[in-house]
Amino acid sequence: MSEHAHAHDDHGHGHIKLQYQRSLPIPNGKLCLWLFLSTEIMFFAGLIGAYIVLRFGAPEGTWPLPHDVHLIEWVGAMNTFVLICSSVTIVLSYEAAKFNQSSLSRFWLALTLVLGTVFIGVKGFEYKSKFAHGIYPSTPHSLIYEKADIYYVQAVRQKLAAHKAGLDAKVAAEEKLTEDEEDRLKVVNQLTDYTKWTESIAALDNDPLKRRAAMERLAMSVYPLFRGHDSHLPPDQKHELFTKMMKDELSAVEREGFTVNESLKKIAGDRANVAKEAENLTEQIKQLNEQKSKLPAAPAAGATGASEGNGTTFVALQDQPNPAAQIDMQIADATAKLGEKTKELGKFDEQILPLDNRLKAITARTQVQPILEHAHGGLNEHYDWLKLPMKIPSGNMWASTYFLMTGFHAIHVAVGLLAFVLILPKTLDATKAHIIENVGLYWHFVDLVWIFLFPLLYLF
Amino acid sequence: MDHDHGIDKKVHREHLGATKDAHASHGGLGIYLAVFVALCILTLISFLVGNSQVLRENAPQVMWAAMMAVSVAKALLVMLFFMHLKWEANWKYVLTVPASMMSLFLVLMLVPDIGRRTRNYSDDRWLYSAEPKVEDKKHQDADHLHPPAKSGEGH
Repeated sequence: MSEHAHAHDDHGHGHIKLQYQRSLPIPNGKLCLWLFLSTEIMFFAGLIGAYIVLRFGAPEGTWPLPHDVHLIEWVGAMNTFVLICSSVTIVLSYEAAKFNQSSLSRFWLALTLVLGTVFIGVKGFEYKSKFAHGIYPSTPHSLIYEKADIYYVQAVRQKLAAHKAGLDAKVAAEEKLTEDEEDRLKVVNQLTDYTKWTESIAALDNDPLKRRAAMERLAMSVYPLFRGHDSHLPPDQKHELFTKMMKDELSAVEREGFTVNESLKKIAGDRANVAKEAENLTEQIKQLNEQKSKLPAAPAAGATGASEGNGTTFVALQDQPNPAAQIDMQIADATAKLGEKTKELGKFDEQILPLDNRLKAITARTQVQPILEHAHGGLNEHYDWLKLPMKIPSGNMWASTYFLMTGFHAIHVAVGLLAFVLILPKTLDATKAHIIENVGLYWHFVDLVWIFLFPLLYLF
Repeated sequence: MDHDHGIDKKVHREHLGATKDAHASHGGLGIYLAVFVALCILTLISFLVGNSQVLRENAPQVMWAAMMAVSVAKALLVMLFFMHLKWEANWKYVLTVPASMMSLFLVLMLVPDIGRRTRNYSDDRWLYSAEPKVEDKKHQDADHLHPPAKSGEGH
């Protein structure tokens, strides 16, 4: 459909008659804006389409629930409402401008600007809350790990070591730690023990299920996630589930500790006996040496020969058994026995050492239990200074897509706000109404994108 | 030589004004209010459906379909009334129809290789995944035991 310009009469001059035909019944500005909006549709359709595919293609049950990543649905709903209101106000501004009510138009435009700013403010608040929980678009700031494997446990240990280094540096600088920092040091030390405990199971246990379970327990301690039916229990019941899991481990550990203790006691008892015998032997040797030193000087001739015959039962026919030689034999005997006893002691020590280490580890695990049980919502929630790496399956994918989409949308909102600011000083009468129409079209598009983003990100 | 050969600028400047919307200028405000109320109600519906645990557990696809339907309805309301497309000429289809087709096509074409990538995972590949493979939901019912909760409990 094209509209014709008034046809010009042929005045018979032989001029070529040109008529300007409009291709579309809309002004150029509006046409250009609609073309721009079609590119924006492609832009956001690409991003949203990619998000849809990624989110539903994630393995069953791995995409983070909104609660897991600190998405608060009603905040998103409120933002949606704010944006809907701003869409209405920009339309009202346009209508007022069309009817030459420029001050009313400016009022509605200013209100749109305010509502848009509220939207950005709420978005900023949401971003801040994510950052505070260690959810960033990517590393190095992001604390999110996809799974609880040995690298995750290592990362936890390294973060704890960094905390400890900071506190130790303060101690080394001869500065007094505040009470807060003393508590922190205690917590850090005990959590380090627990992490090492997890690492030893993860590295050494033969059962792959036990290895995985140990690492999952560490991940749950730091940042508990619940799936399926458990996911909408109230927080204290969720914590109950977690505590029960840790208590089950603890009772198994304590049973083992008891067994280890018993073995240790038995070995220590045996060792004590052997040590006593060794002591006796040492005493005996000492006495024999004393005896030997008290002997009178041996007769010159045969004594030398016989006393050199250590351990031989050969006795020179004409000599009496040399008392010195006898004593030497006894000393040698006792020394040999002492050597054996010392070897036995060594063997006992070899047995004791690993059991001792095991008992130390078990004790450390027992001591960390109160910290884990009292940390409602996980260690990262309870101790907001800890900021340990946390396991959120598909968490990094979620964070990338969330921040990208809401970030681009927020940029578009900001551009819209800039446009409002630039128009606001103008006299918004009927001649300028088309400007408001175009800016309004852009603003409605921004609202459209949010209409799709809100359920996809917050509710799905 | 005095008159213009072609473009009568004055005439066109009139046409360059705001789009004439004979239908919506009178009582237009009433329509906008009605649309606003409808948008709010739809947002509320979408919010309630999305937070419904009953739906989420039993029929998540229904929940998603409902929310997408609500979103499409809201988008249509904004486009038709606030963006005035209801009163625009057929060029609106030139812009919107190909764009919608391409968007849908884009999503559908990504589904086999990216959306369904985990269906072709080997057992070895599943070993390295974040969560172990969940068996088909159809096998879960009251007669059978639920698979263990993913709370990391050891055996």
